[in-house]
Amino acid sequence: MKTVLTILALLLATSLEAAELNPQRAQFNYQMSCQGCHAPDGSGANAVPRMRDYVGNFLSTQAGREYLVRVPGSAVSALDDAELAEVLNWIVLEFAGSSAVQPFEHYSPQEVGRLRQQPLNEVVQYRAQLLADIASANLRE
Amino acid sequence: MKLIDGLFDKLFEQQTRQLAQRSSRRGMLKTLGGLLVGAGSIPLLPVARAAAAESPGHPVEEGDPSSCDYWRYCAIDGFLCSCCGGSENTCPPGTEMSPVTWIGTCRNPADGRNYVISYNDCCGKSSCGACLCQRDEGDRPPYRPDKTNDINWCLGTASATYHCSTAIVVGVAFEGK
Repeated sequence: MKTVLTILALLLATSLEAAELNPQRAQFNYQMSCQGCHAPDGSGANAVPRMRDYVGNFLSTQAGREYLVRVPGSAVSALDDAELAEVLNWIVLEFAGSSAVQPFEHYSPQEVGRLRQQPLNEVVQYRAQLLADIASANLRE
Repeated sequence: MKLIDGLFDKLFEQQTRQLAQRSSRRGMLKTLGGLLVGAGSIPLLPVARAAAAESPGHPVEEGDPSSCDYWRYCAIDGFLCSCCGGSENTCPPGTEMSPVTWIGTCRNPADGRNYVISYNDCCGKSSCGACLCQRDEGDRPPYRPDKTNDINWCLGTASATYHCSTAIVVGVAFEGK
């Protein structure tokens, strides 16, 4: 009985969490602002970074979490803070796949609004250093 | 009459026995239970909703895909692949479709809805030269690089030589709030 109650509680929690995010609106904003380069399934192309089965890696450190908002495609996009937060949450839920970290604390419009005030300029070097830091942090664990 | 009754009795008896031998009552309960629980959980799965949004289906369309006036070309700037040996959805033989593309929306006059259109360029041969169209609705200057059609979108392909443009329906525009 306890197990049944736990499962029911989990199901309820999942549906409540999903309600905060409108998948149709998020996907439309992804299509209009991200998909042209990152591809419909987040797989990227050549120099365009892959998000599929990869984007979750950034969420294992605070700097990585901030990077996903400060990267120019996010920070200077035409989306407002609420739309950007929703699209980022949708990207993580949809594409993180094998790279997903649990639990994933959803981005809020306030957090996104604050972080996008510091967009990254030297993004390629910054990203490489960030990933090296994440890899060595994972090794230490 | 009795003969017919007897025949019917035998037929039904035979069929009932066969059915009883083929199926188990537990099996029946299992299937029914599975269906009940399964059907209940479907609306909870975000996957189902995502899949529904992903497939724009095949919108009812009208017009000529080899004319600049065709509804999907509302933001086009280039040669129509429909006039170059390909179609509005496919590249002509000998060219490669760019995976990097610019995306906008166009209103379909057949159903009055707005659709998300991906203007994938076909690359690898010199300019097609047929059916040059420039409608540019929603086109932005190059300081908004993701929303401009003034740059060569042959990115991510083996060759950066532009040949023609497609206009593929990739979704339905979200029009709520």
